[in-house]
Amino acid sequence: MSEGLNYKFLVDTFFIALSGVPITLFITVVALLFALPLGFLLALTRINRIPVLHRFAQVYVSFVRGTPIIIQIFIVYSSVPLLLSSLFTKFNIGMNVYDVNPIWYAFIVFSFNTTAVLIEVFRSALSTVNRGQLEAAQSVGLTDVQAYRRIIIPQALVVAMPNICTATVNLIKATSLGYAMSLQEITLKAKVAANVGYNYVEAYIDIFLVYLLLCSAVEYAFKLYEKRLSKYKPSVV
Amino acid sequence: MLEIKDVYKSFGKTEILKGVDVTIDKGDVVVILGPSGSGKTTLLRCINFLEKADQGRAVFGDIDVNLGTATKKQIHQIRQKIAFVFQSNNLFNNKTALENVTEGLVIGRKVPKEEAVKIGKKALDKVGLTDKYDAYPSELSGGQQQRVGIARAVALNPDIILFDEPTSALDPELVGEVLTVMKNIAREGTTMLVVTHEMDFAKDVANKVIFMDGGVIVEEGTPHEIFVNPKEERTQKFLKRVLPEDFTYHI
Repeated sequence: MSEGLNYKFLVDTFFIALSGVPITLFITVVALLFALPLGFLLALTRINRIPVLHRFAQVYVSFVRGTPIIIQIFIVYSSVPLLLSSLFTKFNIGMNVYDVNPIWYAFIVFSFNTTAVLIEVFRSALSTVNRGQLEAAQSVGLTDVQAYRRIIIPQALVVAMPNICTATVNLIKATSLGYAMSLQEITLKAKVAANVGYNYVEAYIDIFLVYLLLCSAVEYAFKLYEKRLSKYKPSVV
Repeated sequence: MLEIKDVYKSFGKTEILKGVDVTIDKGDVVVILGPSGSGKTTLLRCINFLEKADQGRAVFGDIDVNLGTATKKQIHQIRQKIAFVFQSNNLFNNKTALENVTEGLVIGRKVPKEEAVKIGKKALDKVGLTDKYDAYPSELSGGQQQRVGIARAVALNPDIILFDEPTSALDPELVGEVLTVMKNIAREGTTMLVVTHEMDFAKDVANKVIFMDGGVIVEEGTPHEIFVNPKEERTQKFLKRVLPEDFTYHI
């Protein structure tokens, strides 16, 4: 243990960890595609106090936010197969639940989790747009849908952008918990490589670097997009 | 042309409007005066369905709607005929001055884009903002913003424009430019219903003045009748309080 870091392993494993990036990004994109529209719609039900739905959204948010993701993963990963296998037996489907790719469980957990985060992001962003904007749009003859699409959402999106960015970065980092359900992502791949020669320190450094690079790139992309969206705002330092 | 009948509106237990009737003919410039809390703004907002009245009717040419129970379609119909200028202008922050003006034309009224741009530029020229077509609201002064707000209303070529205290949120030195624009469009024969505290505007431009207090119309008449010979004590008291000592009425 006195020979220090194994640099060759460090470099090799870096690329192994890097090969987990597509899976990580895939889960992130799927979760966002699911959570962005659903989170937005549920935020609308919160803001406009739509009966039942608005309560549902509220309870949903507190359930998801009030529990650790790792526990949500364990619950989905252990209960969904049980549920499925009883369904499979009932309907005589000859399929083994344990053949299901764990990525499906990842989709479920991270989609629902991100939805809860984005409900709150959109809710706060929408409430920053003055009610007068909607009234002005109505007064010039726009329907509510047109007013939201053309006037309110573009403004709310600018406000929401930094928080959507944070949510996305948090999501990317949270996918590392996917190793708990043997998901072939960055963390698991590097850890498996480290198992052979107990080079855990090197593997962790690689994992650290890959997430850092990935998240920095995503943050940079968001910043560029935010700049483009907020062209109507006075330039602030 | 526009008849508003028997409008009632409460917020919670507070009665704001207690049976208000207003009749406006084509080309009228009607000014509503009154202390704050008298229901002026609420009346205007009820006419354009920004607030839902508890009861009341609006008769607009061949359209006759209940202000409390109008359908979406009826509301849309009425709004096609009425434009609104807000106290705090409410320009679309994400749109340039020109886009603010054309938005209602292109999206609300399906005017072809090229034609809308032509109309929009003309409306902005009229309010003296020829050099600000592409400026965003955040790049304009309060007075310029309100002039865009007026251009946005004028461009729609509505039957009537409602003005909700268009100068009260402005710095004193910016009030003049907005009033000048309003006087100009009044002279062109635009029908206007104006809530304001600008007595000079009421005196010089209006052909009818309505004094409201406590949710009812206390008195209405020509500017001469209201400013020189107010009959009601409440009107006299209000005018005494708001008019400067040297305010004179002459034709």
